[in-house]
Amino acid sequence: MLKIEDLHVEVDGKPILKGINLEVKAGQVHAIMGPNGSGKSTLAYVLAGRDGYEVTKGRVLYKGQDLLEMAPEIRAAEGLFLGFQYPVAIPGVSNIYFLKAALNAIRKHRGEDPLDAIDFMKLSKEKAALVQLPDELTKRSVNDGFSGGEKKRNEIFQMAVLEPSLAVLDETDSGLDIDALKVVAEGVNSLRGPKRAMLVITHYQRLLDYIVPDVVHVLIDGQIVRTGDKDLAKQLEEEGYAEVRDAQPL
Amino acid sequence: MTKLSRRTLLGSLPTSFETGPEWLRALRGRAASTLREQGLPTKRTEAWRFTPIRSVANAEFSPEEGSAPSLTSPVPEGVTARSLRQVLQAEPTLLEGLLDLGGTPTHFAALNTALFSDGLWIDVPAGMAIEAPIELVHALPTSSERSVAYPRVLITVGDGAELTLVETYAGENAGQLTNSVVEVDLGRNAKMNHARVHENAGLQVGRVDVRQDADSNYRSTVVTLGGALLRFDVRCLLQGKGAECQLDGAYLIDGEDLVDHHTLVEHQASHCRSAQSYRGIVSGKGTAVFDGIVVVHRDAQKTEAHQENRNLLLSETATVHTKPHLEIDADDVVCSHGVTVGSLDEHQLFYLRARGIPEDLAHSMLTYAFLESIVERVSHEPTRARMREAVLTRIPHGDDVRGIA
Repeated sequence: MLKIEDLHVEVDGKPILKGINLEVKAGQVHAIMGPNGSGKSTLAYVLAGRDGYEVTKGRVLYKGQDLLEMAPEIRAAEGLFLGFQYPVAIPGVSNIYFLKAALNAIRKHRGEDPLDAIDFMKLSKEKAALVQLPDELTKRSVNDGFSGGEKKRNEIFQMAVLEPSLAVLDETDSGLDIDALKVVAEGVNSLRGPKRAMLVITHYQRLLDYIVPDVVHVLIDGQIVRTGDKDLAKQLEEEGYAEVRDAQPL
Repeated sequence: MTKLSRRTLLGSLPTSFETGPEWLRALRGRAASTLREQGLPTKRTEAWRFTPIRSVANAEFSPEEGSAPSLTSPVPEGVTARSLRQVLQAEPTLLEGLLDLGGTPTHFAALNTALFSDGLWIDVPAGMAIEAPIELVHALPTSSERSVAYPRVLITVGDGAELTLVETYAGENAGQLTNSVVEVDLGRNAKMNHARVHENAGLQVGRVDVRQDADSNYRSTVVTLGGALLRFDVRCLLQGKGAECQLDGAYLIDGEDLVDHHTLVEHQASHCRSAQSYRGIVSGKGTAVFDGIVVVHRDAQKTEAHQENRNLLLSETATVHTKPHLEIDADDVVCSHGVTVGSLDEHQLFYLRARGIPEDLAHSMLTYAFLESIVERVSHEPTRARMREAVLTRIPHGDDVRGIA
């Protein structure tokens, strides 16, 4: 599904990612854990295609294609989904219109007919229920006046509607209380499947109690310093990043 | 309809006014002499610095007879809508003191005062709340003639009365000039929603003068969709304690069009509140001008006044001149003003594209959304829908963005 090879990325001339190697197979959930400033969000943005991130070395293969050559909207249409750490508000664009436009753009890319209003409303209601997003919020402007928890639920709601093959979730747990975290995690878990892969980026182990990963990577200073199973996350929680910081890169 | 010979605007001022009631002849005389003294504005006139009208001042126009606006909605029972010309003939005293609400008029307003031949007076008696809006259309005939019209509208809303007025200014011919004056007199606790749609392809200088008594509420939303040269002034005089006004505007400027909005809010009494929000999108070689003044008089304590002008520049050849300013003589006030001139928000653009929306469609969505926050404030649903439609037809991929809000 996703193969990252020796990826080096600079922002404003400053190296942030310093040789990332990572392979995520269909059906797997990988977690990337790391302290602030380790390059977690940079990795998420590079995968989604945001401007301002310069790849100086390495490549990223997604379903065998060169991901870095694709425009952001093509990546999305090919099934990549970024769950934003800080979803932006877009006053004047209703949530439901936006999502319908997104879904139909993706369907068009796949050579499918657009979903009509009735079918879309049905789909949207069903998926909104999954993350307990109130009907009223689906009609409001995108993320406008949403609480932190509502924004994150809205991200997972969008993911549920768009049904990506690869979901990159950037600190989906930040700003969530425990109840909201459970709702979001349940939404994510319901989308797990043999054909779908997920890259869950988080600072804290807490999220991984609810979204149990197959593989855990520790990212420090732009490099993956440890890789293990879910127990590695627990170990990090107990010992802290300081212990693994001194470990040799694998 | 008789076509009179073509003259320059100033050249068409008569030397004396022979018809109508004494007070009107005097008012027209004062307007004409002010105009002769000061002339039409030039580039050196501060309020016209960015809006060159020399070609208008030098051009010859033939007067358009019968340029009164047409009523396109039924007039609710109890409300009167009468021709100004008829009232001036039959019961002129009813209008005395109501056709110069803003004081002695200057420049184009003076020209209108001196030369208007007809117009409309809508009166909502005290205590009457009208739900259905009254709709007016100002449309110039589609002749190729270079002509000038002087529409004049007077709105009087009695104590505790409520009115929604929707005005549309339309015209196809770029050579035609509309010089309009709308005067609004709001009684105590009166309320008015005033929506204006400017779809005039030609030249227009328009003015709205509002006088507000205590606890009255005036809300104006203007949507301006291009035009060779359009200049609109709105002036609110908050004369009674606790009066409120909200002035909102959206403009979409393309080609070589120039659109100039001036606002003036005078807080003359205490505990009044005013807010202004104008937003526009300028592309091509278009020019937007915004000049907003809030004056807080010495006795107008507990004033709250806010002013905001935001602009999206979509081309390198588009220009914005914006100047919001406050003149405050009272000490116990809350005032704010702000201006932005920029391009589409990169974060929003990326968010949309990251969900699969193609870049050009994402541009259109954000362009539309920028104006939607003004359009959504129009309370009358059919008018709001019409404004949305008018904006959508003028932005790229507008058809694909329909239903966005």
